[in-house]
Amino acid sequence: MSWGDAVLLIAGGFAAGFLAGTIGIGGGSLFVPTMTIGLGVSQAVAQGTSLVAIVPTALVSSVTHFREHNVLRGPALWMGGGGVVGAVLGALIAVEVPGPILARVWGGFLLFTAYRLAVQALRPASTGGGQRPS
Amino acid sequence: MGGGFVLIPLQVLWASVPQRFANANSIVAILPIALAALPIYYFRKGSPQIDFRIALFLVLGSVIGAYIGARLLKRIPERELRLAVVVVLGLVGFKELLFP
Repeated sequence: MSWGDAVLLIAGGFAAGFLAGTIGIGGGSLFVPTMTIGLGVSQAVAQGTSLVAIVPTALVSSVTHFREHNVLRGPALWMGGGGVVGAVLGALIAVEVPGPILARVWGGFLLFTAYRLAVQALRPASTGGGQRPS
Repeated sequence: MGGGFVLIPLQVLWASVPQRFANANSIVAILPIALAALPIYYFRKGSPQIDFRIALFLVLGSVIGAYIGARLLKRIPERELRLAVVVVLGLVGFKELLFP
């Protein structure tokens, strides 16, 4: 591994970590292309390595969020518990990597969700903060 | 992969959780999920496909990014934060749709 590779990995890691801290995604969507496109690592190794890198990234994010009082314990606990069950079931049922069709369905779902969130964000005064009397 | 992309919209669209809490809850929930998935992935049949040296350099950058990001979260207005989520979801969605 050259110095250039190391710098690229640290920079890609930083960007992924920043997204993990602010947006709340694990960072895999940046870890993986940093390795595959940046260093020519195979997809399988990139995915396994990404999973390892997500753990300390999520740990630092979580501890910081708890300190900053950004966490609602109830939902976090239920989603984490449900996710663990889902991960184990997923590993037992499907061992094969999802094919291109599944990836496209996933992409379509993400775009639909992005659209729904955008509509909600751009709708004026949609949050329940109470209406100001005129 | 992709836990956050489900957990964040789930909370915001269906449970009306404010974006700031939804994002923080999501990464907190990802931690046990990744911890559970890791041994499953590692001990699955076939040789483990993990490069720990690469992981080390990624983590060197990511923990710093994660700390800064998590400290900044409170200061980002709700609307801008939600639009940032929209942009990230949209980009990854297009990528998966066009280059699966």
